[in-house]
Amino acid sequence: MTAVLAGGAPRRRNNLALVIHQIKYEQLSFWRNPQSAIFTFVFPVVFVTIMGALFGRVGKSSYFGGLSALQYYVPTIAALCVLGSCYGQLAVGLAARRQNGILKRVRATPLPAWGYFSGLLAHCVLVSLADIVLIVGVGRLYGVPFPSQWPAIAITLMLGAASFCALGVAVASMISNAEAAPAVTQLVLFPLLFLSGTYMPISSRLLSQVTGWLPIRPFNEALIGPLSRHTGADWGHLAVLAAWGVIGAAVAIRRFRWDPRPE
Amino acid sequence: MHPELTGRLAPAAAAPSGAAAAGDAARQQSPQAIIVAGLRKNYGAVQAVRDVSFSVGPGEIVALLGPNGAGKTTTLEILEGFRTRDGGRVEVLGLDPGDKWDARELRERTGLVLQDIAVEPYLTVRETIARQAGYYQAPRDIPEVISLTGLDGLERRKVRALSGGQKRRLDLALGLIGRPELLYLDEPTTGFDPAARRGAWDLVRQLRTAGITILLTTHDMAEAQALADRVVLLSGGAVVAEGPPAGLGGPDAEHTRITFMLPPGVLLADLPVPGVSREGSVVIETTQPTVELHRLTSWAVRHDVMLSGLTVDRPSLEDVYLRLTRDAAPSAAPEKKKTKRSPR
Repeated sequence: MTAVLAGGAPRRRNNLALVIHQIKYEQLSFWRNPQSAIFTFVFPVVFVTIMGALFGRVGKSSYFGGLSALQYYVPTIAALCVLGSCYGQLAVGLAARRQNGILKRVRATPLPAWGYFSGLLAHCVLVSLADIVLIVGVGRLYGVPFPSQWPAIAITLMLGAASFCALGVAVASMISNAEAAPAVTQLVLFPLLFLSGTYMPISSRLLSQVTGWLPIRPFNEALIGPLSRHTGADWGHLAVLAAWGVIGAAVAIRRFRWDPRPE
Repeated sequence: MHPELTGRLAPAAAAPSGAAAAGDAARQQSPQAIIVAGLRKNYGAVQAVRDVSFSVGPGEIVALLGPNGAGKTTTLEILEGFRTRDGGRVEVLGLDPGDKWDARELRERTGLVLQDIAVEPYLTVRETIARQAGYYQAPRDIPEVISLTGLDGLERRKVRALSGGQKRRLDLALGLIGRPELLYLDEPTTGFDPAARRGAWDLVRQLRTAGITILLTTHDMAEAQALADRVVLLSGGAVVAEGPPAGLGGPDAEHTRITFMLPPGVLLADLPVPGVSREGSVVIETTQPTVELHRLTSWAVRHDVMLSGLTVDRPSLEDVYLRLTRDAAPSAAPEKKKTKRSPR
């Protein structure tokens, strides 16, 4: 159509440029929102500091699986942060964006759905990465040695972020009311965090076996290895995590709505 | 009504010369921008749209007018590709918005402004527009859109610090940035103060001059009258009238109305022209106002009778609207309550 092209040469957008475009504006929105920035970065630092003050002197013990207390908490708090930004904030944020019509507006543009979601995923991975670096840094102050298995950490982080993002989108798909979103996400998350050993090691064999098939404990375990035990990627636990990611993605693809008013 | 508009909206003179020329040029390329034929949409047992047919020519401004629950927004959302239809034919720029691939192309070629103000609070005006621009193959220049929507000087302002009217204009900027051939405006001036509304109307006219086809919904008669080349009046999910605002409602609406107080001591039958008594006044409806008025006034002068409160007018679009939607109401009435929970 001549009318469309008049006054501006058609641009060839490649997919990578589109995703970078999305990341850029997701990041801008994120950093400018004091709430999200503080929650994501102040919270883990405070948490590790408290744990350090409480257990900083607890050396290697069988209670913490042969690790020192901080060697245990650095990975679990890192996992908690990834969960917070990928699952919690994403679910709540998407529900809010849907409710106020932002998603519908995005849907009306030529931006494909994959472009929108890859931008979100990449944004979440970046935030998680920054979180992990911060937490490992603070942990170092309490005598936790720097990890050496960076490729394994990267793989675990990417897979965890992707899986929890998928679950976050899935939960956002099933919530119709944005006001209920924080309550619903926390309701699912909070007990599971306790049972999965995030706040304290679980000594019950049965409980560990059950939570081992749920998403959080495998992620904790998969991070403890490369972060504190200097072992490589924990493929067994990562496989469970990936399976949850696939389930989340399947629900998200089937159920995700852009429109605030259901048909 | 504004004299300039009266001239423009008269059925014979469709549009100002510039816009008409642009419209004619486009008309030769493709016959219609939008064709809707026998459209149907149910929400459960509720028939939100039962039979809607109309078309929009290239370069035209058409208003979907009707009360809440008439099916305006549902019709618009089917055209925009947000909702599926249960029956009927829909063609937008020669494509089917219900088809996945056609819908993708349409998103490149159409712009829309929704009822809700939907913008991220923490980005600046410029950033918000720039992000949207990145989604299109050949977007307009950002400064051009900023000045077109009157957002000059606000480029660096955060969206959350904008007033309601400014956010609405930003919303419109987002609808325009992709250089659309067709623009949907869903109740574009709801909540505007009169000055802001005038401003928005001027902007819509400017867009038409630029050759953009516009389909808007409104429940404001004055808005339809001021902007639209043609009005499609919906009630109870069906079209009850269609045409230029001035000629809406068929030949009845073309009648001129002569009203005056019945002079004391004069009977209705004494008058030289037949009239009816309505609310203490005499009303004469005629298609030949010049003749009838002359007959009436010369009779009055001859008999030395005062015709106090003498007025000559035409039924306004509002009168036509109320009459037509009231006529259509009985069939729609049983569904009124249920309609509330479905989208408008």
